[in-house]
Amino acid sequence: MIQLRRVSKSYTAFAHASVVLRDVTLDIPTGQFVAIMGPSGSGKSTLLNLIGCLDTPDSGTYELFGQHVDQMSEDQLSMIRLRRIGFVFQSFNLIPRYTALHNVELPMIYARVDPAARTRRAQRALELVGLSQKLAHKPSQLSGGQQQRIAIARALVNDPAIIVADEPTGSLDSTTGHEIMHLFRRMHAAGKTIVMVTHEADIAAYAQRILYVKDGRVSEGVLR
Amino acid sequence: MTTGASISVGLVRDAFAQALFALRENKTRTALSVLGIAVGIVAVIILGVVTKGVREKVFAEIESYGLQSFWIYRNQNVADPNADVRRGSGIDNDDLEAIRLGCCPAVKHVSPRVYFTEWNVLARAGNRFTRILLEGVDAPFLEISKDELDDGRNFRPTDIEQRRPVAIVGSNVQKQLFPERSSAVGQSFRYEDMKFTIIGVLKEKNREFLKSIGAAETYNINDHVMIPYTLHQQMLASKDVHTMAGEAVDKASIQTAAEQVVDLLNRHHFGRYQYTTETMEAWSATADRILTNISLVGVIAASISLLVGGIGIMNIMTTSVVERTREIGIRKAIGAQKHDILTQFLMESVFISTIGGIIGLVVGMALAYGLTVWSKLDVMPSFLVISIALLVSMGVGVASGYYPARRAASLQPVQALRHD
Repeated sequence: MIQLRRVSKSYTAFAHASVVLRDVTLDIPTGQFVAIMGPSGSGKSTLLNLIGCLDTPDSGTYELFGQHVDQMSEDQLSMIRLRRIGFVFQSFNLIPRYTALHNVELPMIYARVDPAARTRRAQRALELVGLSQKLAHKPSQLSGGQQQRIAIARALVNDPAIIVADEPTGSLDSTTGHEIMHLFRRMHAAGKTIVMVTHEADIAAYAQRILYVKDGRVSEGVLR
Repeated sequence: MTTGASISVGLVRDAFAQALFALRENKTRTALSVLGIAVGIVAVIILGVVTKGVREKVFAEIESYGLQSFWIYRNQNVADPNADVRRGSGIDNDDLEAIRLGCCPAVKHVSPRVYFTEWNVLARAGNRFTRILLEGVDAPFLEISKDELDDGRNFRPTDIEQRRPVAIVGSNVQKQLFPERSSAVGQSFRYEDMKFTIIGVLKEKNREFLKSIGAAETYNINDHVMIPYTLHQQMLASKDVHTMAGEAVDKASIQTAAEQVVDLLNRHHFGRYQYTTETMEAWSATADRILTNISLVGVIAASISLLVGGIGIMNIMTTSVVERTREIGIRKAIGAQKHDILTQFLMESVFISTIGGIIGLVVGMALAYGLTVWSKLDVMPSFLVISIALLVSMGVGVASGYYPARRAASLQPVQALRHD
C-alpha cells in the first residue's frame, strides 16, 4: 500500500541544489516491518519524511492506500498524518510543559475526539506502554526510555496504520533500546506497518526487511 | 466520537493552557503587553464616559433655554442705502397683536422683548448697587425661555395693561441686592428715578457651557430683570419691539413657526426690513458639531494608545512563535492543520488582550467613579461602553495576533522540527 514510483527530491542550500533522492521506486506492503539503513547524509531521513507525508517529492508519484499523496495540499497531508501515521522521533519530541497524559491527548484534540473519550483512550495507550503510574509527570521528570514510551503511546492513540520512526533508539542506552524494540515488535504483531530509520544493525535486526540508502539510491538488504 | 462542540472545547482548553503557560513563563513580557492594552482601554473608557457626561450636561444646559423657542429680530447688518430712512426695529405692537389673534398657526405663543441699546444698566436698593440686564417682556416669556420662578409670581394681564412698575429678577440680582434675605419678593429697587417692586425671583440657570464657548460675561441670564414691556416702551417713548421671542407648537414646526412670523412681518412692513431668525435647535446643532470634533480628537488619541498596545502584543507573539517553532513542528507532524495552529496562537493573543481589556475596564471604572464623585457629572460607563471596550480589546488581540499566527501556521513541518 506504500508505493513510490521514480521519486526524486533535492534541496537548495546556499544557491546550490543537492539531489538527495534519485528515482526511488519502492513498495511496502501492509503489515511489513522495514528498517532503513545507510550512512549519514545518504538521504534516509528524507525518504522517511516522504513516506511519513511530512514532505512531498519533487518528481515521481507516491500512492498511499491508493491516494496520490504527491498531489495533496498541506492540510490534506496533515489529515493523512493525523489519521494514518504515527511518528516516533530520536529526540522524542514531546511538549515539555505538558504532562504525559496531555501529550498523548494532543493528536486526539486535532482529531476532534470529545474530552471524556480522549482521556480514556490516552490512559489506555499509556497503560499499553507500561506508564500507567506516570500520567501526571512531565517529560523532564522521566527517563529517556519512559519519554520514548510516551511518544509511542502518542503515535498509537489515533490507531494509525503506519508507524514512522526516525532512529527511535538513537538517544537511548542499549538495554532501553531493546525494551523499546519489544514495543515495536508488539505493534508489528498487532498489524501495524512500521518504517524505521536506524544505523544500529542489532536494532535493524528486529525488522523483516532492510533497505540500504546510499547517495540517494535505495537497494534491498538482507531479507530475513 | 466526534462532535461539533468538542472542536472548540478542545482547542479553547488547549489555547487557554498555552496562554496561562505564557503568562507564567514570561511574566514580565506578558505583563507589559497586558499593560499596553489596559492603558489603551482605560483611555477608551475615560474618553467614552467623559464625552457622554459632558454631552449630557451641555444638552441639558441648552435645553434649559427652550428647544422649541425662536427669536426674530431685524437684521441690522444688511448693507442698506436707506438704513437711516428706515429706522426702527421692524417689529411693533400691531405685529404682536396679529400673532396673538392666531395668524401664525404654528406659533404657540410669543412675547416681545424691549430693551435699551445698552441694556446693561445699574440698579440700586438701599446702599447696594448691581449691574442688571433690564428688559421688557410679556407673561409668556418665562415659558418661552424655560425660566422657572423660585419664588413669587409671573406677570398678570393687569401688570402689562396698566404698566405697573413690577419686576421679576434673576438669582444674581437677589444675591447682590438682598443678600441677607431668603427671598426678594416684595422688596423694591431703583433704576434711575424709577422704583420697581419685585414680584418674582428666577431659579438660577447653568451657563458653564455657554461661557466656555465664549458667551460674554456681561450677558449673564442670572442678571436678568424683567419688567412689563408696555412700561419699557413708555420709558423709550416708542411702540417698537426689538425681538420677537416665540415658541412653536412642537419641535418639528420651529422653522415653520419662524417662517410664518417673518412672512407676517414682511406683509405688515411691506418688505422694508430683513429679519434674522435664531433657534435653540440651531445652537444645539452647533454644540453637537463642536462636541463631535472634540470626541474625534479623543478617539484618535485613544486609538493610538490601543495601536501601541497592539504592537506590543504582536511583538510578544512573534517572539513566542519563533521560540516555539519546534513545538509547532511537533504539532504539525502529529496532524495539526493550518487553522488549528492559527486558532491556537490567535486565541493566545486574544486571551492576553482580553485580560488587558478587563484590567483596563476595572481601572477605567474606578477612575470614572472617582470622576463622578469629584465632578458630580454622571460619567459611569454604560453597558454599551463596557461592551465596546471589551470587543475592542478582543479585536486588537485578533488584529495583532493574526500576522504571527499566520507565520506559525505556514511553517513547514520538516524545517520546524529541525529548529532548536
